[in-house]
Amino acid sequence: MRPGTKRLWVPAGLVALIVLLALLAPLLGLPDPVRQDVAQRLAGPMPGSPLGRDEFGRDVLSRLIWGARSSLAVAFASASIACLFGTILGLLGGWFRGLGEFLAVRSMDIVLCFPPVLLALLVVTLLGPGAGTLIMVLSVLYLPGFVRVTYAEVLSARSHDYVEAVRALGASAGRILTRTVLPNVAGPILVQFSLAVASAVVLESGLSFLGLGVVPPAPSWGLMIRGARATMAQAPLLLLWPCLALTLTILAMNLLCDALRDAMDPRTATARPRLRLLDRVLPGLVPPAPNAEAPEAVLEVGGLTVEIATPRGPIRPVEDVSFAVHAGETLAIVGESGSGKSVTATSVMGLLPPAARPVAGAAWLEGRDLLRLPEPELRRLRGGAMAMVFQDPMSSLNPVHRVGDQIAEAIRAHRRGVTQAQAWSRAVDLLRRVGIADPERRARAYPHEMSGGMRQRVMIAMAVANEPKLLIADEPTTALDVTVQAQILDLLAELRRETGMALIFITHSLGVVAEIADRVVVMYAGQVVEQGSVPEVFGAPLHPYTRALLAAVPDGDTAPAGIPGVVPQPHAFPVGCRFAARCPHAKPACEAAPPALEGAGEGRTVRCIRWAEIGAKKAEAVA
Amino acid sequence: MSAATPPLVEATGLSKTFAARGVFRRGRPVQAVRRVDVSVARGEALGVVGESGSGKSTLGRLLLGLQPATEGVIRFDGQPLDATMPKAEWRRLRRRMQIVFQDPFGSLDPRRRIGAQIADGLAIHDLVPAAERAGRVEELLRQVGLDPTHAQRFPHEFSGGQRQRIGIARALATGPEFLVADEPVSALDVSIQAQVVALMDDLRRRLGLALLFISHDLPVVRHLCDRVVVMYLGRVMEEGSAEELFRAPAHPYTRALLSATPRIDPARRAKRILLQGEPPSPSNPPSGCAFRTRCAHATAACAEVVPELRPLGGERRVACIRAEEIA
Repeated sequence: MRPGTKRLWVPAGLVALIVLLALLAPLLGLPDPVRQDVAQRLAGPMPGSPLGRDEFGRDVLSRLIWGARSSLAVAFASASIACLFGTILGLLGGWFRGLGEFLAVRSMDIVLCFPPVLLALLVVTLLGPGAGTLIMVLSVLYLPGFVRVTYAEVLSARSHDYVEAVRALGASAGRILTRTVLPNVAGPILVQFSLAVASAVVLESGLSFLGLGVVPPAPSWGLMIRGARATMAQAPLLLLWPCLALTLTILAMNLLCDALRDAMDPRTATARPRLRLLDRVLPGLVPPAPNAEAPEAVLEVGGLTVEIATPRGPIRPVEDVSFAVHAGETLAIVGESGSGKSVTATSVMGLLPPAARPVAGAAWLEGRDLLRLPEPELRRLRGGAMAMVFQDPMSSLNPVHRVGDQIAEAIRAHRRGVTQAQAWSRAVDLLRRVGIADPERRARAYPHEMSGGMRQRVMIAMAVANEPKLLIADEPTTALDVTVQAQILDLLAELRRETGMALIFITHSLGVVAEIADRVVVMYAGQVVEQGSVPEVFGAPLHPYTRALLAAVPDGDTAPAGIPGVVPQPHAFPVGCRFAARCPHAKPACEAAPPALEGAGEGRTVRCIRWAEIGAKKAEAVA
Repeated sequence: MSAATPPLVEATGLSKTFAARGVFRRGRPVQAVRRVDVSVARGEALGVVGESGSGKSTLGRLLLGLQPATEGVIRFDGQPLDATMPKAEWRRLRRRMQIVFQDPFGSLDPRRRIGAQIADGLAIHDLVPAAERAGRVEELLRQVGLDPTHAQRFPHEFSGGQRQRIGIARALATGPEFLVADEPVSALDVSIQAQVVALMDDLRRRLGLALLFISHDLPVVRHLCDRVVVMYLGRVMEEGSAEELFRAPAHPYTRALLSATPRIDPARRAKRILLQGEPPSPSNPPSGCAFRTRCAHATAACAEVVPELRPLGGERRVACIRAEEIA
């Protein structure tokens, strides 16, 4: 049983109970719900009538349960009919488009134009009250909801590759619709169904209350409320019971459908880590002092460890990460997805999500530890002394403001006394500086009017607007075409040379590292595994992972060699070396204890207990 | 491939124009593919490279008949593909050509077990009796290097690389002769990328597949493909054997593309030819040579006529009037 189904039990039990009660009403030995006994009019609870009697002396409990029968029958029948036809219409309209689409969707728009209660009143008045009329009216009323929900879901589903894949397999339209599209649109339809049933119960009661639904003396919740209203002053409890029944039923229905939708989605079954609200209080560790030997480092990160609390216990996506970057230097942090390179960058910028917090280490920028700065001070630094460029410029730019205004805003946020006109002219200068032709006109453009490369230039212009000491670029060229990537790499290198800022470049592409960086930090599964100058690390890699990574890149004449296996998940990090399971040189000792980061020459570190041994073997093999 | 064997897939004069969107069709139509001739022989791996908007993905879908061509003829094993063909005929052909997608997350149905998705092709074409399908699925899983006992799992239980293997298994289920792989490794980490490329290479050789490998990653194409087609704004700029084309690119665009590819080995790094700007919009391509607006060698003559894709010795063809001059 999947864990997702566990949540289903309570609401399913409630709904089953209500439905069962209604179904079994004839077998429960209840008093006749329509038998009047005027002598017991408005009597309180008594033996045989635990809830008392109504204004005609009829048993309230019996009427409540019998009333559920008519209320639920009308609601389920009308919602089911609307669901069936609405789903079919929506599927066909969404899949076949053209005339079918037009007819299905527009006709529903027309139905939606009528106020629902008015339409119901009109039909009931014409055809006369009764359960059959009610079902017909309600199903017409709920039809458009189903059609529109299904139609919208089908439109979005049909653009997915997996639908295209089934089409490529030669499946017929019918098969695609029932096997592939329908299961994927079922969730929203189920929700719509629950809404329809719940609202049909209410509407049925409402119409019965008005005397247009179930015909007296047959029991119905709406009729009960209507009856109780007249005697409200004498017996207020009579009003409570049908209302309570109504509320409970609707609540149970909604809960059930929520749970059902979650249970039907196989993805929720793995219990995605639900993040607890964390106390953001940092541990009172005394941070280590910045290294006195390299005082000119712009940013020095030491022993950075980030922890995220998950239901399965805390995970550490970044552990004991140390590096330094100097003025005018480009440091690349390279690693595959899940290596912790982006988490490292966001913790330095103080942009970690609330559930994650740095639990150890320090990040010194201009003599201040970024990990322990209060938010207002961090905010002054961000966009000022340190700036960041992200992978996706479209989601980092505000779509409703002109790019020139956004750059000007960034300037004015950090410099008091700069007028809007001055900031604007500086923004135009910056756009020219990052290689945007016709910057006066372009400054007035909106982000969506620009190409991806141009947007990334705008982001860079904004990042360097306040002459930062440190620029962190997180995969800034990954979304770009290779010829545009080359332009952006050149621009960043040029800006760094000119301004002398330190640049941290996060990427998964070793080729990009080789092109742009002076030094490189190789990360694997949250740890630094090797660090050194780019020519040294790429020319003579010491860690088996670095070596394997370089061999996996198709460059040169040898065919690329993959690394078997996958990166371990943060909650399943092994005790010993995290790469051991994929390493061709692994020995039992590797898995026994966590390897330390060892020094291996000038500015070179490596996290492998066998690096010297393996290196010697390689040298032998070459000789 | 020798010229004697007739190609499995052959397209001539293939064009695809997407009509402008919106009620009033105000925008210009997008010319995604323009007069492309391309052929893939049995057992051959043809690489299609180009940047976004070059029409390479559209070309793949046209060849599979997933989108109707605006103009041109596609022949599959000698038989012309035609939208008016009877449905049964189409289904018979579908079985012989398949596609692998880029996005390992979007290309699998999140709500169905992977075994059922792989078995879809078997069921649709009734290739294997229902009772034996599970066995065949296991066999396919083993073939792509996955644990056959995982057939009952859902897609989200797999990593990106494993999902891509599942996608390949699904495509192989019907026993296709022609496989279109649309950027199958672009979304994967480099260590996983190499695994999947090796798998595709191995399968192609073992099963004798004709492979159309669409990618923007030139080094990957170089290792996997026999022949390469370079596309820009819907047109073929250059075509030739992978070895020759990468060693001595003839078209200025191919050169720029190669020089822009980041290389690890400094010795291999070519002098960067930095292109100005970005590709023009496919809805408003320049006159004459599509590449001339970014080309360092463009002359007035380049704007006048669309350069023909002309032979340049052997299998090599190039669409540049100045190819010899600037070599």
